[in-house]
Amino acid sequence: MSASLAPECNDVKERYDTCFLKWYSEKYLRGSATTDECEPLFKQYKTCLSKALKERGIDQMLEEARADNKENDAEYLRPSGR
Amino acid sequence: MRLFTSTHTFDYSWEEVSTNNWRKYCPWNDKASHVLAVDTLSRSFDPATHLLRTERLITCRQAAPSWLKPFLAGREESLVYEVSYVDPVAKRVTMCSQNLTMSEFLTCAEKVVYTPATGDGGGAGRTRFEQEARITALCGGWAKVRQKIEEFSVERFGQNAARGREGFERVLAMSRQVFREQREREAAGAGA
Repeated sequence: MSASLAPECNDVKERYDTCFLKWYSEKYLRGSATTDECEPLFKQYKTCLSKALKERGIDQMLEEARADNKENDAEYLRPSGR
Repeated sequence: MRLFTSTHTFDYSWEEVSTNNWRKYCPWNDKASHVLAVDTLSRSFDPATHLLRTERLITCRQAAPSWLKPFLAGREESLVYEVSYVDPVAKRVTMCSQNLTMSEFLTCAEKVVYTPATGDGGGAGRTRFEQEARITALCGGWAKVRQKIEEFSVERFGQNAARGREGFERVLAMSRQVFREQREREAAGAGA
C-alpha cells in the first residue's frame, strides 16, 4: 500500500487500507455488503490526517476543489444505465 | 484548451482491475516513484444504490519544468484531488481528478473510466480503460505562452499516461501471482 503524506498516520492508514481492500473484494463487489465495515478504522485515520491537512493549509485547497467537483457528483452519484 | 485521450484494454477482469486500482501506486508499481503518498479523504457507501464514492489526495514529487519553478513558491510537492465513483451493478469505475497545486497557471481535469470490454476486443476477463484529460493554461493575454505551456503539458501527460499503464500492468500481474500462490498454499495445507 502507499504511504500517507503524514508519516504519523501511516500505521492507522495501513490498517484501514487492508480492511478496505478485503471488504471491497470479498463483500462489496460480490453484492453482499450492507454497511461499510471499515468505517471505525477510517474515523481513526481521518482524525490523524485532518490535523496534518490543516497544518499544511491543504484543507482550504480541498474546499475549492470539492466545489469544482459538484457537477461530477451530480452526474455519477445517480445509478445510470440500469 | 488541449484535449488528450487514450484507450487501452487490460487482460484482466473488471473485478481484478477495479480492486487493484486502489493499490495502483503500491511498491509493486515500479513506474510510480514520483507518487509519494495516496490518502483517502472520505469514503461513502450507499447500501440502497450500492454506489461507492471515494475522495483521495495524491501527493507527487514536483515535476514542473525548471523555468516554472520560480513561480511555485518553493513548494516541493504537487497535489492531485481525485473523486471516484464505483457502480458494482453496472460494473463501472469513474475517476475524476484535478490538480490542486499550480492551478493558477494550469488546470488539468482528467477522467478515467473502467468498464468490462465488449465487442471485438471483449470476451470474459478483459477490461476497457478510457482516459480523457483537458489541459488549460491560464496566463493572462499571452496566447503564445499559453499555447506553449499547453503543448508541453499534453506531451508530458501522454508520456506519463503510458508509464502509468505499464506500472498498473505490473501491479495486476503481481496481484494475480500472489493470489495464485496463496491458493496453492491453502490447497497444499488442506491436502496435508
